[in-house]
Amino acid sequence: MKLPIILCEIALPLLYFATIWVYARAFFSNIRPAERLSTPLLFATLLTHGFYIVMRTAELRHPPITSVFEIFSLMAFTVTLVYACIEWRLKIKSTGYFILILPFFFQLVSSIFIREVSEVPPILQSNLLGFHVSSALLGYAAITISAVYGFLYLMLYHEIKFSRFGVVYKRLPNLEMLERMSFTATLFGFIFLTIAIIAGIVWLPRITQEVSYTDPKLFGTFVIWLIYGAGLAAKRLRHWQGRRMMVLSVFGFATAMFSMTVINIFLSGFHKFY
Amino acid sequence: MNFFCLGINHRTAPLETREKLWFSEKEIQSVVPSLRQKQINDCVLVSTCNRTELYYTTREGSANGEPLWKRLAEHKQAVGAVREEHLYSIPSLNAVKHLFNVASGIDSMVLGDIQIVSQIRDAYAIARSLSATGAVTNRIFDTALRVAKRARTETEISEGAVSLSYAAAELSSKIFSDLSKRTALLIGSGETGKLTAKHLVGKNIGTLLLANRTRQHAEDLAALLRGRVVDFDRIAAELEAVDIVISSVDAPSYILSEQDLRRAMKLRGARPLFIIDIGVPRNIDPAANSIESVFLHNLDTLNFVIGKNLRRRASEVPKIRRIILGELIQFNRWHASLEANPTIEELRGRLEEIRRQEVEHHLRRFSPDERREIDVLTKRIVNKILHTPTINLKNGSDTHQTLRDKISLLRHLFGLDRRNSG
Repeated sequence: MKLPIILCEIALPLLYFATIWVYARAFFSNIRPAERLSTPLLFATLLTHGFYIVMRTAELRHPPITSVFEIFSLMAFTVTLVYACIEWRLKIKSTGYFILILPFFFQLVSSIFIREVSEVPPILQSNLLGFHVSSALLGYAAITISAVYGFLYLMLYHEIKFSRFGVVYKRLPNLEMLERMSFTATLFGFIFLTIAIIAGIVWLPRITQEVSYTDPKLFGTFVIWLIYGAGLAAKRLRHWQGRRMMVLSVFGFATAMFSMTVINIFLSGFHKFY
Repeated sequence: MNFFCLGINHRTAPLETREKLWFSEKEIQSVVPSLRQKQINDCVLVSTCNRTELYYTTREGSANGEPLWKRLAEHKQAVGAVREEHLYSIPSLNAVKHLFNVASGIDSMVLGDIQIVSQIRDAYAIARSLSATGAVTNRIFDTALRVAKRARTETEISEGAVSLSYAAAELSSKIFSDLSKRTALLIGSGETGKLTAKHLVGKNIGTLLLANRTRQHAEDLAALLRGRVVDFDRIAAELEAVDIVISSVDAPSYILSEQDLRRAMKLRGARPLFIIDIGVPRNIDPAANSIESVFLHNLDTLNFVIGKNLRRRASEVPKIRRIILGELIQFNRWHASLEANPTIEELRGRLEEIRRQEVEHHLRRFSPDERREIDVLTKRIVNKILHTPTINLKNGSDTHQTLRDKISLLRHLFGLDRRNSG
């Protein structure tokens, strides 16, 4: 494997660590130079990660979706990308620490365990599969961020309600803003999950004659999609908002994690390639 | 250093004495020129509700005369009420340090109150417009304004609300991001409630509703704050539409029960409702805080927020003292470098004299055009020789003693003292 790829695998966890350290310093200690440095460091990390993905794809001649550790790295990249877009759009940096801690761990695990897959199954070389996986990852990245904002909302909600005015109260944006951030992320997550499900349904009959719509992971993804869909409908039709929506966002994320881990590991189905 | 501060403030005199020595802008404009007629050279008079301070430099040999505090008191016809013990006099570098303390907010009655900065800026502008400041005073006040800016931007000395009304408004901005789309309801006309409503209007609240048992009171306040009056009996019904409630009513029992709020929240669809109960005894059933999305706070919460903010401000004071110390050191070096000016001038005179003598001595050998060129050329040489020592003496990086040693050496090497005594 080429040296730049190996160097990136070493550098990326360090860069993510440096980025969350700077965001943490800015959040907990309100150190202004750290606040100024945080966004440039975030974009440097994102660019390095983008370069790594492009290099790896070009060198190994397949998209980085052939092993669970490649997926982890892609997940780290998509979460960071979605967060960077939100920060750039809303100019709010105080939530960065809580979001970026996730990509750090994803990339750390990926960098430690990632190996070159000697033979890539033909099933994983489909372009439609690449589109399906990318959409699903962007969807999961968005609902992960939505859940983190939901969690931060609940923390701030309790601090205000029970008069515990700590660092969370002092530094986080207000409840309305956190709710808006969570909702925007949920909306994007729902759209990308919908695209991933449609792409999967189109792609599924092409790879196997025995199409199984009772596959546990397919079922799990559909349940997640239903939870978020129901939440969005409740907001639109029943004017749900505030704490109730944030609890739903965290619950949806917990279900997604259950689907990605327990179902993926313990329940077999055609939807398992690694 | 010839710089002094004469002042009266909240620590040395009660309000009834301080107000006797309060100067309006117009009065400052008239008193500054009169003070400068005798004794005083530079003069800046800062006057606020908590302090009146005169920063000044004296003319040489003007140490005696009528005490300054008396002249200030006479100007305000307050000689009997204001006595010498109410005032303090701070000399030299301590006066500079005191001004920096005042400008940064750490000497304010409410720690971190930065209103004083604009008052210092105004006083300085008046003094400059009256040509009542020289190079040293200008430097001191420019530095003081920089200290104030650094204190504000590099520390949290003025962060967080430290009054009940501000604390209430600050709490509301932790729930809602855009108050222009929100509706607030002020119940009663207690002073803190009114101030909170004013702050919310200042923060661009969308709609302000007012309810009072005496409708006329509500209408008077509504005219002042551009609000709308609602019937006192209908406040429970209004809860469906409002986002912020400030209650400040003198009532023997709760004016809003938990059931009133539960009913309202059913109609609101989990929209947050922020309630500040400043009434004593409390106006709103505290059990209402258990309802989802109801944030009910009372005087204790606000006092807790204020206490926390004041402690946070106090923890910033050491940072500000470090900023002040750094600026004081820089200022002191600059001021000390002024001592080098007479020596530099003498040295320039000495070299110019040598240049002139040598040029005149050889002048006959050249044509008039050549003489002019030689004159320009030799002047340029002298300037170039003097450039580096001048910069080195005036760059302000030396300690006072080092600078004095350098000046002494220079005078010795070029025989400046011998020449003066001879």
